[in-house]
Amino acid sequence: MTVVDSLRRLTAGRTARLAVLAVFVVLGLYPVFAPYAAYEQGVLLLAFLMALMAVSWNIISGFAGYVSLGHSVFLGLGAYTGGLLAEKFEVNPLWFMPVGGLLAFVAAALVGMVVLRARGHAFVIITIALLLSMQVLVNNFSSITHGSNGVNVLLPFWSSDYQNIPFYYLFLGLLLLTVGFAAWVRRTKFGTGLLAIREDEDKAAAIGVNTTRYKVLAYAASAFPIGVAGVVYAYFLSFLNPIGAFSLLTSVTIVLSALAGGRGTLWGPVLGAFVVSVVTEVANVYGGGSQSRLLVLGLALVLVVLFLPMGILPALSARLARRRAARQAVEYTDQAGVATARTPIVVSPRSAPAAERSAAPLLEIRGAKKSFGGLRAVDGVDLTVEAGSITALIGPNGSGKTTLFNLVTGAMPLGDGEIWFDGTRIDRLPPWERAHLGLGRTFQITRLFKSMTVLENVVAPLPSASWGLMVKDAVSGREAERARELLDFVGLGRFGDQQAGALSYGQQKLVELAQVLMLEPKMILLDEPAGGINPTLVNRMVEIIRDLNRQGIAFLVVEHNIPLVLDLCDPVAVLSRGQVIAQGPPSIVRADPAVLEAYLGPEWLPAKPVPDVVLDQPSLSVKGG
Amino acid sequence: MTQLVQALVLGLLIGGVYALMASGLTLIFGVMNIINVAHGALLILVAFITWKIWSLTGVDPILLAVVMTPLMFGFGWLLYKGVLSRISGSSPGMSVLLTFGIAITIEGVLNVTAGNKFRSATPSYFSESYRVLGISLPKAQVYGCLAAVLVLGLLYVVLARTWTGRAIRATAQNSSGAALVGIQASAVAALAFAIGTATTGVGGSILSVLYPFFPASHYDWISRLLGIIVLGGMGSLAGALIGALILGLAETLTATYGSLQWSTLIFYAVILVVLLFRPQGLFGSRLRQDVMA
Repeated sequence: MTVVDSLRRLTAGRTARLAVLAVFVVLGLYPVFAPYAAYEQGVLLLAFLMALMAVSWNIISGFAGYVSLGHSVFLGLGAYTGGLLAEKFEVNPLWFMPVGGLLAFVAAALVGMVVLRARGHAFVIITIALLLSMQVLVNNFSSITHGSNGVNVLLPFWSSDYQNIPFYYLFLGLLLLTVGFAAWVRRTKFGTGLLAIREDEDKAAAIGVNTTRYKVLAYAASAFPIGVAGVVYAYFLSFLNPIGAFSLLTSVTIVLSALAGGRGTLWGPVLGAFVVSVVTEVANVYGGGSQSRLLVLGLALVLVVLFLPMGILPALSARLARRRAARQAVEYTDQAGVATARTPIVVSPRSAPAAERSAAPLLEIRGAKKSFGGLRAVDGVDLTVEAGSITALIGPNGSGKTTLFNLVTGAMPLGDGEIWFDGTRIDRLPPWERAHLGLGRTFQITRLFKSMTVLENVVAPLPSASWGLMVKDAVSGREAERARELLDFVGLGRFGDQQAGALSYGQQKLVELAQVLMLEPKMILLDEPAGGINPTLVNRMVEIIRDLNRQGIAFLVVEHNIPLVLDLCDPVAVLSRGQVIAQGPPSIVRADPAVLEAYLGPEWLPAKPVPDVVLDQPSLSVKGG
Repeated sequence: MTQLVQALVLGLLIGGVYALMASGLTLIFGVMNIINVAHGALLILVAFITWKIWSLTGVDPILLAVVMTPLMFGFGWLLYKGVLSRISGSSPGMSVLLTFGIAITIEGVLNVTAGNKFRSATPSYFSESYRVLGISLPKAQVYGCLAAVLVLGLLYVVLARTWTGRAIRATAQNSSGAALVGIQASAVAALAFAIGTATTGVGGSILSVLYPFFPASHYDWISRLLGIIVLGGMGSLAGALIGALILGLAETLTATYGSLQWSTLIFYAVILVVLLFRPQGLFGSRLRQDVMA
């Protein structure tokens, strides 16, 4: 993640940390030295609230990449909760801060469970609809909410001499807690999972990230602090009405703040909130009052999306990084990777597959079918992979190999048929549960999270669905050690701290393999492991596959490099037009007339000489599928 | 009974107007995969201009569509070239933010120039009705619906019968395929956006007579239109038509038998329920893409 990384580089610097500290010390002392600056304090405390909301918004929309346009709905929920409960029980609303937070959390989780199974535009539409419909609901349920008459909240219990200073410290404190919370989220496996979802959601699911749970939790977590702050806000305002509490303008300001400061970064939303608050205040005072406020915000949003989509902070640190990079050029070549010695490693700490103990095959596909419109891409495939084997799946381009992979890993739903893995029927399970069972895959075109570091990529996979695992530090302890071992194993140990996107294609394939190994898989599906990489790396890849296989991991390999397949794999299955037309030891399959016909067309008659000659032609190893 | 028939007829009349407004939104989504949240604000903008011209000159507001439509076509084209084309290919989130920014900017401009007041154009026939078989048909509703149906028909002919229309539909179905056979995607997108925006020229003129409006009314309108196209299926013109009729009926029936203040909630409820149970809507491609469908 360039954004987060560059930020980390920026705040990792002692100066940056000191600067942040200094700013907050000054803010903390301000009311002490200027106790009568009520106006300035008022502007600042609303800026704290805005910053708190922008930091929270950032968890779902910055880390996970799902933009929420109605985030102020949680402020309204919190405010109304505090206001109405305080009225009912005739106590200070501040007692209800946890209730406000909890209610916001639950509301977000419920809505999230409905829409966050989804991708694309659904979420953003729902978030606006949620906010606007809350205005109407609160207005209409007037027996509970007093409708458009609004809610009066009792006045602060402290002497009016203190003015808003207690609110100032309350919001400042809540802001710091929220930033701490967001920082913690970012550091855990949960946070890494969210970034993975933003970068490539399918891939995240394939390496065991329960994307639905992660997104729902992220949305709920981003609602909680705002719900808490909403209660304080109600006390501060001392009067609530539906349109003001569920304000679209507030929502837009949240989005604008986080976007302008740098979404996905930790401090960006804070910076953005301060900038936006001050600018709109100035515009209010000098630029025609609140009438023009909307115009300014709208224009600012358009301009930021068009010209500063990354945000201030990332743009600054990108400039810094460029200057630094110019000083110390780094060269990446395959040779550098190859030159490093590979260290041996033990990779199968999981219990041996049940399939090995019984006689059943590890993977069994029965009558699998999948159509795209009228095209039957997979048309009744029966295929088994024995535990401990390296099974090849070959076939002409378009014969359905990659589709079959997608069906097995759950990237696409199966049309008809059954898939069994190690004694469990998996064809209805979501991709992450298949990964948790010990099924890993690599992709034909590598799909690393390009802006995370290599090491972060390798620690990203989750071998189980455990909740405890989610809150662990992402890169630490036993796992980080394991990830380094695996990187050493594929010979890329010294690249751990590089950005994954900076590696060569072949190296990325090796990193992807190391990534899959973190799942402690019983079986790995390799989609063209040798496609598009140089011969030295191909040899290494073969060596690694053999090494892993000796330790008990089974492989199903799609590959167009026929000599390599014949050398490495046994048995070989041949797919043509969505069906398995031959399966058996390499020597038999390569002489099978049906196979030759599938590859070379019906008019090719098997002349007597060895078919090797034909099959070994490099022209057959063209990439595709 | 008369009350029911009356409600049904009114619902259909309103549905026709909704259909026109929604068709532009769904067309833009189909071709560019962008939800133009500013569509509602554009309607209100046109309504304000129409109202202003009508109050100054007395020209019939619905007739003013003849002027407003080409004007909005041009405005849409400029908006695409100047603003939207700059972010083609970025995430759905960013495109929604951008159009949302445009919507608020328009609302802000209207706030400053026209003022935050309810307006409504009231030509001479405003409060007159035709009486047919004991049912009263407000003239404004009838004229509005006729104008809408006329423009919808025109839009249909353009899309179905002309080369340009085929290019637009081809791009909507498969943009890379269309590019391969020589259709310039950016030109088609500009055209689709301009046509989609042009429908607000007619829609806004009609709106100025049928409904009172003020700058922030555009949230109501975009919610309505989103409800319609989500129900019909995003990107589907036939879906927009059916969705508009259904929701037009549902709204009038709720207002007749329930209460006016709940009728607006129907659209939000529809959005939620459709996305939950039938994300592809009645006719459209899937709006919701599940990991496991």
